[in-house]
Amino acid sequence: MSMVRALISRLAPLLACLGLLGVWQVAALVLNNDSFPTALDALRAVPSILGDKESLINIGASLRRMSIAFSVALVVSIPLGLMMGRSRFVAAFFNPLLMITYPVPKAALMPIIMLWLGVGDIAKMLVIFLGVSLPVIYHSFQGAKAVEEKMLWSGAAMGLTALQRMIRIVLPAALPEILTGCRTGLVLALITMVTSEMIARQSGAGNILFNALDMGQYDTVYAMIIIIGAMGIGIDAAFEKLRAWLVRWSEPGFDIPLSFA
Amino acid sequence: MNARGLTTDVLLGVVPIALAVAVWQAISSFGYAPVTLLPPPGLVFARLAQQLLTSSSYQQAIAVTLFRLFAGFSIAVVLGVGVGLAAAASPAVNAVVRPIVRVLAPLPKVALYPALLLLLGFGHESKITLVAADALFPILLSTYFGASMVEQKLIWSAMAAGTPRRQILFKVVLPAAVPSILTGCRIGLVISCIVVFLAEMITSTEGLGHLLVTAARTFQAVDMFVPLITISLLGLILNGLLQGLRVWLLRGFPEV
Repeated sequence: MSMVRALISRLAPLLACLGLLGVWQVAALVLNNDSFPTALDALRAVPSILGDKESLINIGASLRRMSIAFSVALVVSIPLGLMMGRSRFVAAFFNPLLMITYPVPKAALMPIIMLWLGVGDIAKMLVIFLGVSLPVIYHSFQGAKAVEEKMLWSGAAMGLTALQRMIRIVLPAALPEILTGCRTGLVLALITMVTSEMIARQSGAGNILFNALDMGQYDTVYAMIIIIGAMGIGIDAAFEKLRAWLVRWSEPGFDIPLSFA
Repeated sequence: MNARGLTTDVLLGVVPIALAVAVWQAISSFGYAPVTLLPPPGLVFARLAQQLLTSSSYQQAIAVTLFRLFAGFSIAVVLGVGVGLAAAASPAVNAVVRPIVRVLAPLPKVALYPALLLLLGFGHESKITLVAADALFPILLSTYFGASMVEQKLIWSAMAAGTPRRQILFKVVLPAAVPSILTGCRIGLVISCIVVFLAEMITSTEGLGHLLVTAARTFQAVDMFVPLITISLLGLILNGLLQGLRVWLLRGFPEV
């Protein structure tokens, strides 16, 4: 009995996918609208996109930009967030700046950045970098702030330098929170990636999607939505595996990320 | 924290912002960047003030954006709090909602926007739906976690006092979950600001995002900065209002 239940809970996301596709199929059949193909039609268009060499190069370029920008953002944001969490001076210095930049849509900076850096990779990666770094900084900040003082005192009493305390005590203690921020950042990176490619139509998954929309190739539009959605779900699931392994020592948390900002 | 510490913090916080503006001014006044690429801050803020105070078409654009933002956000709040509470209260609902949320939450909603455009048209509806879809999940999730973290003792006490099951949901669980719900709303609000702007940039004939795109197409650098600063200001004001609401709603709560 419990095995059946475990199996069902394992398959539940898959069932949910199938259910959503089913709802789509029924809705398309009922509406019977030219610009709203059925789920089956859209799925049928997926292999032809994935089989096309040019589309694959485009999607690869998107993923490459995203992973580079994401990694750079982590390298910069985690130390900054941790320092903000441990020093009131640093926190007071950066907090207001972060507060004003938070509600600015990062992808909306794209037209301005394009003026300076052109439509190439650098402009897009800069925008993704900006989008990812804010949640990561915020969560690292919160995580580092919550570290127990006693552990730091013990570390200091045992002769750890400030830098060693940061790496050996604060970083592991804040890791669960940092990873929550990274997961949020990952979702945002994907959103920013699509939007930046939509604005600077040069290459990438967003480029295929919106070009198809402009040319009225609706099957391609919906197939690209499926592909981008699957990318999001796949990347998120993979990251969740990594996260669970990295923080396996901590108390079991929620399996759905709480924050998305 | 005493008042003196607070003033020092504020002063410290102003430094990087002032520094950024100073660097901006220096770059443009020493001629490192032509005015067409980076207009000096004085010009941008003067234009911002002029647009905000005198241009009725600009005020119109702000109104349109705000309307879409609020409509989408309200739908997200109603749906998110409702579904979140239902999922926390009933295992059956939870079993259905949980996997769906797991699949839909990490999905980049912007990618859905072309579909929304085709189905709902280029007007308000597609933008409002996109805002609602994006703001929904943080609110839903934080409601769910807030409601499922309610202390069991509170529920037992209410049951012992003879409160019917249905009322426990509204009299005990909902108020206890309010801090968490408000945190979710805050995240949802920032997301709404971002998404409404992006949606207007993609396709629109009105609103702040549209103004930015028009300015970009005609290379009016000053007019590109103005809508961006406006949306940042709107985000700050709305955030402040929500913070005020939080303080008022939570006035009886212990420090959260």
